[in-house]
Amino acid sequence: MSDVPNRLTVVGERQLTPTQRKLLSVLTHTLLLAVSVFMLYPLLWMLAASFRPENEIFSSASIWPSEWSVDAYVRGWNGLRTSFSVFFTNSFIISGLSVLGNVLACSMAAFAFARLNFKFKNFWFAMMLMTLMLPYQVTLIPQYVLFRQLGWVNTFLPLVVPKFLAADGFFIFLLVQFFRGLPKELDEAAQMDGCSPWRIYWKIVMPLSMPVLATVAIFTFIWTWDDFFGPLIYLSEMKTYTVMLGLRTFTDSTGESDYGGLFAMSVLSLVPIFLFFLFFQRLLIEGIATTGMKR
Amino acid sequence: MTARSLESGAPLGERAATSSLWTRIWQNDAPGYLFLLPWFIGFFGLTIGPIITSFYLSFTDFDLLTSPEWVGANNYIRMFTNDPKFWASMRVTMMFVIFSVPLKLAFALGVAMLLNRGMRGLPLYRALFYLPSLLGASVAIAILWRQIFARDGLVNDFLSIFGIVGPSWISTPQYSLWTIIILAVWQFGSPMIIFLAGLRQIPQDMYEAASLDGASRWRQFIKITLPLLTPVVFFNAIIQTIEAFKSFTPAFIISGGTGNPINSTLFYTLYLYQEAFGFFRMGYASALAWVLLALVGMFTAFSFLTSKYWVHYDE
Amino acid sequence: MTIRTDRRKFLMGSSALAAAGAFGVMPSWAQAQSLRLIFWGGQGRADRTYGVTDLYKEASDTDVAGEFLAWNDYWAKLATQTAGGNAPDVIQMDYRFIVEYAQRGAIAPLDEYVGSALKLDDFDADQLEGGKVDGKLYGISLGANSVATLINTGAFEEAGIEPPTNAWTYDDLFEIGEAFNSANIRGGMKAISDSSYNEPSLDNWLRQRGKALYTAEGQLGFDETDAVEWYQLWAKLREAGVCVAPDDQALDTGPLETTMLVTGRAALMPSNSNQLVGYQALVQDKLDMCGYPRIAEGQGGGHYRKPSMFFSVAGSSASKEGAAEFLNFFVNDIEAGKILGVERGIPCAAAVRDAVAPTLDEANQIALNFVANLGDLLGDLPPPPPAAAGEVDLSLIRTLGQEVGFGAKTPEQAGAELVTGATDILNRA
Repeated sequence: MSDVPNRLTVVGERQLTPTQRKLLSVLTHTLLLAVSVFMLYPLLWMLAASFRPENEIFSSASIWPSEWSVDAYVRGWNGLRTSFSVFFTNSFIISGLSVLGNVLACSMAAFAFARLNFKFKNFWFAMMLMTLMLPYQVTLIPQYVLFRQLGWVNTFLPLVVPKFLAADGFFIFLLVQFFRGLPKELDEAAQMDGCSPWRIYWKIVMPLSMPVLATVAIFTFIWTWDDFFGPLIYLSEMKTYTVMLGLRTFTDSTGESDYGGLFAMSVLSLVPIFLFFLFFQRLLIEGIATTGMKR
Repeated sequence: MTARSLESGAPLGERAATSSLWTRIWQNDAPGYLFLLPWFIGFFGLTIGPIITSFYLSFTDFDLLTSPEWVGANNYIRMFTNDPKFWASMRVTMMFVIFSVPLKLAFALGVAMLLNRGMRGLPLYRALFYLPSLLGASVAIAILWRQIFARDGLVNDFLSIFGIVGPSWISTPQYSLWTIIILAVWQFGSPMIIFLAGLRQIPQDMYEAASLDGASRWRQFIKITLPLLTPVVFFNAIIQTIEAFKSFTPAFIISGGTGNPINSTLFYTLYLYQEAFGFFRMGYASALAWVLLALVGMFTAFSFLTSKYWVHYDE
Repeated sequence: MTIRTDRRKFLMGSSALAAAGAFGVMPSWAQAQSLRLIFWGGQGRADRTYGVTDLYKEASDTDVAGEFLAWNDYWAKLATQTAGGNAPDVIQMDYRFIVEYAQRGAIAPLDEYVGSALKLDDFDADQLEGGKVDGKLYGISLGANSVATLINTGAFEEAGIEPPTNAWTYDDLFEIGEAFNSANIRGGMKAISDSSYNEPSLDNWLRQRGKALYTAEGQLGFDETDAVEWYQLWAKLREAGVCVAPDDQALDTGPLETTMLVTGRAALMPSNSNQLVGYQALVQDKLDMCGYPRIAEGQGGGHYRKPSMFFSVAGSSASKEGAAEFLNFFVNDIEAGKILGVERGIPCAAAVRDAVAPTLDEANQIALNFVANLGDLLGDLPPPPPAAAGEVDLSLIRTLGQEVGFGAKTPEQAGAELVTGATDILNRA
């Protein structure tokens, strides 16, 4: 991991004696570790549960399993008629395409709202915000009817195409806030040199916005991965299921459920999004700090 | 409503304006509309239709299985005059918004500040703190929360060290909502990341200058960090509030979709969902949704109007 | 029955064509057709169901594409598909929703296929009756079950008490409760879960009093006195520490793992006969079952054999007859029956039941024996509940019971509110 100490720290701690600095560091780490434990306990419990014998999961109070077994993983992976490898592939396809779509389409829309002037801009922005406010439960059925007429039901299209059409106002709004924070002089200078808006967007704004674009990528990937309601409504065949949808079929409140399998697969389902996060968060850190942007 | 806050700086095409009206439109407005083209296709092709439909449905009786039947404003009238559950659920959601949003934002900002200091193991901490947010709201979370907040759960194990015998927090009406608020705050990862991205955008030379002038850390925070972070604070506050108003899944999974005990976790959207899919009253549910939209819309408009007094953009 | 078995052998030993003829599925055999099927359940149920669709494909050259979801997700998806004009041909339907779907034309009456595509001669009469709405057949029962009290026999052994039998009464329950309190096992395990807001418990108690939750006309079948008495009974049980504390009981949000039986807080719990298997997988002690308690010694009539779930045919289906043929195969074919077992309840066709019985494991045997030997516990089959029954349950029965439990309302207030509130909801719908 790039652990480049940024200049803020160097500046901020210049006034401290070495002993003070050491003390501060120890204190910070202690605090962070304490919070980490609090944050992570539930996850550790889940990890332990995935190695526990089935009938011990809900009756045993201790976090340590009486015996360790990887049965649940083996059982879970092929526990449904379709193997989890299929679900993972589907989730990767949907999440990957969604990241691409959101980064491109939302940044374009945000660029227009943040850096360009045109008639009725505020009206369209308000419309965009409005789409954020309506609970999805009431647009679900009209939307289903629409996608059905398009013949998209039981394909990935209803889950992916809206991302390429900037349907998620959250990301547009997020990018708008960041694009507006970039120094104005940059595009003014570029404009003097005869740059087109497209070049300003592609050559200046986008490269300078790596941290926030990484944020968009991370959130899109994770949220798409975690989403189950969209896949639940639009996907019917098991071979098109996503991981989250697969997970939900492990438990049914009316009959036999496989909780061990559920926990085991839950743990596995976290691995890709965690790795995605680890990888993309480097862009968060590097971003501005390493481009050496100055006002 | 968004007028003031959205006036961004230099209009790109302005200088090139010529005599021809068409040229002017092309140079002034066209780039904006071209950049918005994907969004327009999505908005008019996919989004606006269902929204208008739901607005129409809010004036009907619609049982999902047969055609909707026009009833005028009946749904809205009933909601305000003859529906105690509407008010009960409104109260629950309001409580949730009022407590979860500031707590979550404060936590997120605090941790982001802490993590923005260069230190050993930074990426690790950042990842650890984001982990709970990765979990989303799944069946596993519902089970976990029970393990923590039930009578013989982790919290009471901890309290018993001090000789306190705690109740079953998650299933006692006075406290159950708080366990969901804690869940929301626990998953503070997303605003934290956004704060971090915002902090990263603050030019370091400003601190160097301030530091040379002998400004204390606290002064630097008040004078530099906070003002420059306001666009991000503004964004997080608005988004988290909207999301909190719409919050559905945590209550749905933790109460098994019932909103119990004694409706203490009957979130507004949970009630809406029950009406729509449990009791087959999509017309009424749509009316509920539009009341929520009006409420959130007013809040957002108000925020935008006041934002010019405290949100600082670089312009 | 013997004739049917012979036909089955005939099928196994001869061509699909002849078999199709024998089963009356001629009209569509020649052209491969396909049906869509949706049901709720776990992988275990899915495996059995797909086993039957595979068998059906061999027998009739009809593809049945099945889709299954967990109960909580099922109804939102089914409603969306139905509203979107995209309902599957065959729909698994629950007792509490069948009236809603039938009255709105979302599922089709099957009467015209009975005798031709659907052979129901040796089908249990009460199960057939249970699938009727306004006199027309809308659902074919996939199995019978009954309410039952699940017993943690290990806990009873540890407490040194005899577990209850079908003869037990609410007075016995008080005694068992006391015994559990003085035995004080497993961190204060109570005798029974708080069943005051368990709809079937109330229903069973009312039926023993000669009342019912709902009348055949879809109105309320009891009055305020009954309701108040019910809440008073449970207030007493709560006070005596016979049932679990209200904040424990509120932990039960529906899924099996949240129930008092699985979390080990109560030794008895009202449930359904077909759920024994699911619970046994989550509990270390051996489970058994008996009837719900009687209101007085020798007082019966509270139980009935309820259709556990149905298969219905979508009103919008383009191949209703093909769907009816599949239903016929599903409930009547012996091989199919052996694959399905009693996972959805006790088979309703006599021939299938006889063929299945010897193949069952212990937990399933207990369930089958219980349902087959209800004796004087068995009363008349009630009419299907009115469309708003689900809302009465969720909005009133559950909430009011909890409010009394937590002391927010007295039994008298709750009783009055249950009656007025339920009447309101029934009239609104």
